[in-house]
Amino acid sequence: MAPRLAIIVGMALVSYALRVVPQLLLTGWSFPPAWDRYLRYLAYALVASIVSTTLFISGGQFDAAPAPRRLIALAIAVAIAMLTRSAVAGMFTGTVVALLLSWFTAGA
Amino acid sequence: MLFSKSFRQGVRAAVPVWIAFIPSSFALGMAAKGYGLGMEEIVLMSALVYAGPAQYAVLEPLAAGKTALQIIIATVLMNLRFIPMSAAMAPYFRRVGRPRLLWASHFISASSFVLPYVRFQQEEKESSSAGTASKTSDENLSFFLGIGMTAFCVWVAGTAVGYWAALSIPAGFEEVFKFILPAYFACILVIDLRERMPAAVCVLSFLVAVPAALSNVDWGWMLAAIAVATIGWRIEEWRRA
Repeated sequence: MAPRLAIIVGMALVSYALRVVPQLLLTGWSFPPAWDRYLRYLAYALVASIVSTTLFISGGQFDAAPAPRRLIALAIAVAIAMLTRSAVAGMFTGTVVALLLSWFTAGA
Repeated sequence: MLFSKSFRQGVRAAVPVWIAFIPSSFALGMAAKGYGLGMEEIVLMSALVYAGPAQYAVLEPLAAGKTALQIIIATVLMNLRFIPMSAAMAPYFRRVGRPRLLWASHFISASSFVLPYVRFQQEEKESSSAGTASKTSDENLSFFLGIGMTAFCVWVAGTAVGYWAALSIPAGFEEVFKFILPAYFACILVIDLRERMPAAVCVLSFLVAVPAALSNVDWGWMLAAIAVATIGWRIEEWRRA
């Protein structure tokens, strides 16, 4: 297994390559809108997947006990974000709810 | 060039980007602490990778000691969107010298792309209708750097502050580390999504990710997300045709 710092440097190199190669090689080249849409879909799908896996999976196992309360807190966060059009308001409200629910269920 | 008029205009235009970066970088720093990464690791990652969703995606695999290949592929997939962004801006930097272009490219991010790109397009339209000379490539690059460099500094500093704040959070508050970053990204998604198909792609990806990850711990969620995105995109293209 590569050390973490080496992996971070590897991540940096590929990220930089994706930024710099079009600057050097694709000047004046118009990116097909359909490809653009696909990359947007891909980013959406990957982010939504990670939201789900980071909330509900730990160490390769389904986190059954905290899953319902995290789902409730996430639903509240998302509802607040939609109502206020503020991701920060949604994030803070949801996090407070998640924390309170974790205390409540721990004490129950 | 750094403190030219165009650069200062970029700095002023960057304020909304800073405001967006503060909570997300803060949440990233906190989550990194929760996953057991060192402050130097996450701050270095913010400085070298400088891509929020990709950094978020690799926190768990990095902490769990997953293979470099898996983490690098996740990074590439997450950052593929830089290609169209960078290509779209390239014509506006056409006459910039290569060393400066190599330096400036690092500051391309989703948030620092939209503002300069829209402005460059507007200026080009206005100058062509007025018959005046459009801004030079160097002026465009300075404006972009005014946004990109300051947003980058906010991102890196915000990560460090988030990590530092997490150090002072007492026991019993661990749920904050686990929840804050996914909650932020979920909120960003619901605000960003206005069309039906991308929303459907997100919901479906969210639902299938856990069973997919349980069936294959290393690649399941990634393959499921690619499959859902591809199907959603094909349906959208078919509807447009």
